[in-house]
Amino acid sequence: MVNPILLIAVPLGLGFIIPLLGLIWEKPTRYVPAAAMVFNLAASLLLLPKVLQRPWVVETAGLPPPFSIHLVAGPLGVGLSLLIALVGLLVAIYAIGYVREGPVAKYHSLYLFLLTGATGMVLTADLFNLFVFFEILCISSYALVAYHGDRAGTESSAKYLIQGAIGSSLVLIGIGFVYGLFGTLSMADIARNIDSVSPMKLFLPMAFLITGFGVEAAVLPLNAWLPDAHSSAPSSISAILSGIAIKAGLYAVARVLFTIYGADTIALLVLVIGILTLLVGEMSAFSQNNIKRLLAYSSIGQIGLIVFALGLASALGVQGALFLVVSHALAKSLLFLSVGYMIYRTGSMEISSLYGMGRRMPVSALCFTIGAFSLVGLPPFIGFPAKFTVIMAALERADPLFTALVGVVLVGTVVEGAYFFRIVQGLHFRPPPESATPARADQEEAPVSALVPICLLAALIVAVGVYPSVLTHYLGPAARDLLDKAAYIHHVLGP
Amino acid sequence: MRKALSLVVLLVLALGLASALRGPSIGAEANRGELLDDQKVNFGRRYNSRAVEETGASNVVASVLVTYRGLDTLGEVTVLFVAALGLAVLLHTGRDRKSGKEAEAPSLIVFTGCRFVFPLILLFGAYIFVHGHLTPGGGFQGGAVVASGFLLIYLGCRGRQPDRQRLNAVESLSGVAFVVIGLIGLAVGGSFLLNFLPKGSPYALLSAGIIPVVYVFIGFKVGCELGGIVADLSGARR
Repeated sequence: MVNPILLIAVPLGLGFIIPLLGLIWEKPTRYVPAAAMVFNLAASLLLLPKVLQRPWVVETAGLPPPFSIHLVAGPLGVGLSLLIALVGLLVAIYAIGYVREGPVAKYHSLYLFLLTGATGMVLTADLFNLFVFFEILCISSYALVAYHGDRAGTESSAKYLIQGAIGSSLVLIGIGFVYGLFGTLSMADIARNIDSVSPMKLFLPMAFLITGFGVEAAVLPLNAWLPDAHSSAPSSISAILSGIAIKAGLYAVARVLFTIYGADTIALLVLVIGILTLLVGEMSAFSQNNIKRLLAYSSIGQIGLIVFALGLASALGVQGALFLVVSHALAKSLLFLSVGYMIYRTGSMEISSLYGMGRRMPVSALCFTIGAFSLVGLPPFIGFPAKFTVIMAALERADPLFTALVGVVLVGTVVEGAYFFRIVQGLHFRPPPESATPARADQEEAPVSALVPICLLAALIVAVGVYPSVLTHYLGPAARDLLDKAAYIHHVLGP
Repeated sequence: MRKALSLVVLLVLALGLASALRGPSIGAEANRGELLDDQKVNFGRRYNSRAVEETGASNVVASVLVTYRGLDTLGEVTVLFVAALGLAVLLHTGRDRKSGKEAEAPSLIVFTGCRFVFPLILLFGAYIFVHGHLTPGGGFQGGAVVASGFLLIYLGCRGRQPDRQRLNAVESLSGVAFVVIGLIGLAVGGSFLLNFLPKGSPYALLSAGIIPVVYVFIGFKVGCELGGIVADLSGARR
């Protein structure tokens, strides 16, 4: 059986090897991230049935928890690492052809470290270790946002760096307080002893932790960096930032809230923040003319919806949130990837310059349409069962307040539909702008290395949309993994 | 409106800070007695009392860094690696910016002094990371000392640069070696970063199993990384 630590150790080791390989022969470096993710995908698939029965607590250095760092490979951790490996693999395949200029070996190394950081975050059960992997994720994404070395990229990377660094410092201070209070860093151990400390003393460390991780998760007041960073990064990096990096931040927030803290007391606050994030994100997306900025703001809106679902703090609510995490990861990376070559061909990110692309790049445009419809939540795609689960969870509360909030969520969806339909209509039914270069049939469509991941993502979106039960089977245990604090403590520390 | 809002946020933060710091906040768990199981909680007390016996390293900090929290250290090493790599990406502009005027050659005294001191700095850095498990210090500190030697070369012996590619190679190799050591532990004893070498007798140079080995690699890695950062920032590209 594969030890879950290999999910971290193998990509980490390969990440160190890439620069070495780059010194000797640069060409094969671009295949290494894909190879590492194939391993992670296979290992996660092998582990999943086993951890569904019982989470696997992995010790390091041969010492039992809580004294050394330990990982908990539960349904949630392995499920998310599977998602990371899947999206990471597809984006890595896309990047083989897409990233041609600049320090290519360094790009692939940083990209692999980014994925390693995300995988480590979802698997670890140690608060400080969570921070370390969080830093690996953040620092590699700062550098990758500025990969092109142009003015916009560097500026937005600096913005991201400053806000991210403040967030990380807050997390570190928060961990310092928590360690001072409990004398331990194991999340299960802290959770077990959380009641022995007065809530007043806990307020500040928890606020620091949630605010710090919240910067990466891009919840409402902390997301000023996101539209710039996601829009000026290379498209493959935008895809991974929107698809994976935000989710990792969100996972950290959820872990702290549910497992350590027990979220019941501030669930309503989370709910309100989620709704506000949703509305602000969708409204801002509506008024964008730049396609990548629009997609970035739409990510904020979707994050708001996920936070709203988490704030319901019920089994069905968390299940819906996880469903949305999967659906958004697939759909948003599909959108960024398919739009990547359209921008490359037209040389502009303006929506109006993409008009008529349906004829010039039919496959990319079709897949973009599938991703957009899925995000809006139209039936045969994965977005529909995901949003439906969230709305069911909210209505389950049978409270007029929640019914009203569902109304607000639906308004957000209508706004979302409005701007996505506008783009889709432009892609397929509007004539190309006059300035567009005359079509040369041989090189219009994206290359095969880009079409394979795009089509696979689209196929997955349709497949899960038609048979949601393949996913919901795993989402229930994963949601319990997050919500059931007592079981988590029991698994790690024993009775 | 905005001012009032920030005032409220500040006030809440100040109240939170006051309540968090009121009474003992560091090491507070020791005063709660019955509520906490003494054997199960409190890392510090356990490490202080058992570390020498469990890891064989007389420097408890080293045993915490490499054994108890070895995965964190591997992560920190990666963070540094990623930061150096990210800096190299940022400074890679594709075109070499040759500054118009050549840097002035250093005087003979400075040049000779640097050449004399440089090997001594390397030796001192190596001493610090080789003895990391015995005396205060360790891989990170030793590596920083080594890198200060590179900084001296940059300041005092202009025109002479450490070979950037060789630095990169050593950096990556040490990272790979750290992971491989961890994986050997996994293969031998079923636990990542397990201390699989004999522990020896405390206070001897060859003791504490993998701790000195890992520290030597960290020392090389940190030294080359910081040296590479110095070289990157000074604009030397090889």
